[in-house]
Amino acid sequence: MKTYLAQRFVIAVLTLLGMSVVIFVLLRLAPGDIVDILFSTAGYVSPAEKQAIMKELGMDRPYWVQYLDWLRQVVTFDLGKSYRYDLPAWQIIRPLLPVTLELAALSIVFAVLLGVPTGVVSAVRQDSALDYVLRVISLAGLSMPAFWLGMVIILGLVTWFRWIPPLSYVPPTEDLKLHAVQFLLPALAVGYRSSALIMRITRSSLLEVLREDYIRTAWAKGQSGGAIVWRHALKNALLPVVTVIGIEFAFLIGGLVVTETVFNLPGVARFLVQAILWRDYPVVQNLVMFIAIVVILSNLLVDMLYGVLDPRVRYGD
Amino acid sequence: MTRPRIAALFAFLVLLSLALVMPATSQAPKSGGVLNLMLREDLPQGFAIHETATISTVWPAMPCLNNLVLFDPLKKTESVDTIIGELAEKWSWQDNFRNLVFFLRKGVKWHDGQPFTSRDVKVTFDMLRETADAPAKLRINPRKDWYANVEAIEAPDTHTIVFRLKRPQPSFLMLLASGYTPIYAAHLPPASYRTGCIGTGPFKLKEWRKGEYVEYVKNPDYFVKGRPYLDGLKYYVVVERSTRQAALQAGKLDASFPGETTKTAAEQLKQAVGQLVVTPFSQNVSDNIIMNVKKPPFDNPKVRLAVSYAIDRRALVGAVHQGGAVVGASQAPKPWGFWGLAEKDLRGLPGYAAKPAEEKERAKKLMAEVGFAPEKPLRVEIVTRAIAVYVDMASFVINELKQIGIDAALKQIETAQWHPMATRGDYQIGANLTGIGPDDPDANFYENYGCGSPRNYSQYCSEEVMKLIDVQSQELDPTKRLAMVYAVQRRLEADAARPILDWKLDYFTVWPHVKNLIPHQSIYNFGRMQEVWSDK
Repeated sequence: MKTYLAQRFVIAVLTLLGMSVVIFVLLRLAPGDIVDILFSTAGYVSPAEKQAIMKELGMDRPYWVQYLDWLRQVVTFDLGKSYRYDLPAWQIIRPLLPVTLELAALSIVFAVLLGVPTGVVSAVRQDSALDYVLRVISLAGLSMPAFWLGMVIILGLVTWFRWIPPLSYVPPTEDLKLHAVQFLLPALAVGYRSSALIMRITRSSLLEVLREDYIRTAWAKGQSGGAIVWRHALKNALLPVVTVIGIEFAFLIGGLVVTETVFNLPGVARFLVQAILWRDYPVVQNLVMFIAIVVILSNLLVDMLYGVLDPRVRYGD
Repeated sequence: MTRPRIAALFAFLVLLSLALVMPATSQAPKSGGVLNLMLREDLPQGFAIHETATISTVWPAMPCLNNLVLFDPLKKTESVDTIIGELAEKWSWQDNFRNLVFFLRKGVKWHDGQPFTSRDVKVTFDMLRETADAPAKLRINPRKDWYANVEAIEAPDTHTIVFRLKRPQPSFLMLLASGYTPIYAAHLPPASYRTGCIGTGPFKLKEWRKGEYVEYVKNPDYFVKGRPYLDGLKYYVVVERSTRQAALQAGKLDASFPGETTKTAAEQLKQAVGQLVVTPFSQNVSDNIIMNVKKPPFDNPKVRLAVSYAIDRRALVGAVHQGGAVVGASQAPKPWGFWGLAEKDLRGLPGYAAKPAEEKERAKKLMAEVGFAPEKPLRVEIVTRAIAVYVDMASFVINELKQIGIDAALKQIETAQWHPMATRGDYQIGANLTGIGPDDPDANFYENYGCGSPRNYSQYCSEEVMKLIDVQSQELDPTKRLAMVYAVQRRLEADAARPILDWKLDYFTVWPHVKNLIPHQSIYNFGRMQEVWSDK
């Protein structure tokens, strides 16, 4: 187990190192930089002033020096200064993290609570009217973009109740009820799509397991349907479901852009887009690294869960 | 009935109708309440108005700061006659409009408690002029050209400041009254305004949560007694347009963002919530065509003129803006602006005639003279910013040009690249938007048509026109100046220097409880919020 974890750690570090190169290069390949944007807000460009600002921000140094400087900052937990806000990048990034993590976690919880039971019911009642209804609902979830659903929710609330969720983040310590409402609505919009995926995977995986010999044996021994499905079949059918949940969670950390924008939640994804538009390299680089770390950790967690769910899975030393 | 009785009856009826009409306007202002406002993006340069030209900074930063003088927030029209004192209590022109003396208010304090003096004014304007002895320097200085006529600024005592001009410039006061011209604190570095705001204004900055909101509280030490009326202001950053609209509709926000609400959007809002109050006003932003006069084929005046003749301005207003814009030359026309050419004066200019088909025929003839026709078109690339309002206009223009033998391919340029490209002149032809601070020719002509000005994107330069611009700038008689400004506009359109297609209108929308938030002729000048109150 220790060796396995050590291997995974080394792979993670190498992955992050590779990611850092890709992020760094891609950002600089995009046309324009923060100085161009600053001049854009002023409606003109002065080459001399531009040079001075480049120097002030350290952007006149060779790329490799800038890259090494960034790596040094990451290692020492000093994320540099936001070009746009002239403040430490960590100060900008820190308040965004709990918002996105909470929204992603809530969305996944919602997706699992909706997706797994409906997937089970759909599999057990294969080809029944209920199965068809559930499959149509899940197909609708897959076909409906989360941002569209979010917008429909917002417009529905405005039209019928003349009300929309708060426009700025409400901490749970300030107003728990409002905080819950603020997060539940976008979680519903995002979670519905994920639940559809989870439902379909659960259904197909469970159908496969239900045809296994040991399930037939259980039926022959006279076990109850509930026990067979929930205790014996589902546990073995969950491996691909857990994989999908892990992938979905990792995807959500960076993929909530439009939902955060529509619901005006100050999260990582919405801020990341703004930072990219502003070519705020220190903020973008560090946010993307954060997303990469979450993806790696959630993958590791999923791999660990395999062992818990299926005793046959071993992490060899 | 005898005459006195008729007169008495008439007077009674007048008073009665006034009494019926006036309650809404003559209501006594109430103190208290917080106004919730919207921002479409986070503050691009914090509160550093001097380092930017965007309304996204000016609108949320104005409540924190003060000018020497300002356009009266309670009057829609902006002119020399509607200018009121802010940090300046009185002012006087001397030496035939060559010296402008300001007598400053006493007892004014910065939000950090420091006293406001003439040194703050001198440092601010020396910094803007970039004098050799200026104690501070701006990182970006977009309006340096505004102060090209200032020879010196003197502070004979702590509460007097004198602007010495190289030549008379009566409209200099208009530039000082713009939202673009606040006074910075001399005891702070100008960079501090990018991250915070220490002003003398009616509201003190409480918190700027990046990407989320800007919150102000009432300045209890404000130098105007009884102002501001509101206890605070909160500007929410709402990036998504439909969410902004929904929030306004739901009453989460009290007013729209200046320059944001199109005619169609306002109609939708009004349909959804009947009690919303919509006020159309000029954004002082024009749609225009920039043609690089230094590069072929637009170095040829005939081709430039053909482009101007080809575009049916009125059809553009109908198709692209659904009627939410007006046709005008290089200054916004009446009643939206003061200096623009009237409809009848526009008729004789390229592209403004009543019969667009005839104008297109003229354009075709001009193109034929340089060897092009619809069957043998001139192929060019038309650039525009990758933003919907630009692209819609550019698409219309492309269709118009096609009809006279110019085959223009659209190239969308990202915001980061737009101004560098335009300033470098790295394009042939472009569809552009230009915003102007105060509605005054000096704020427009020097910046957008002046030889060597970095914002003169087409690089048009005519010594003759520059002389005309200088002469109008010095003219003391307003009637004569107006005639001169008309002449400059005619000349610019005849030269197709930067053909103006239309002036955009904004349909500023507020809830009825928002009082005294009166849009002006320009989006950049009415954000102080000192007089605004809430009747909630």
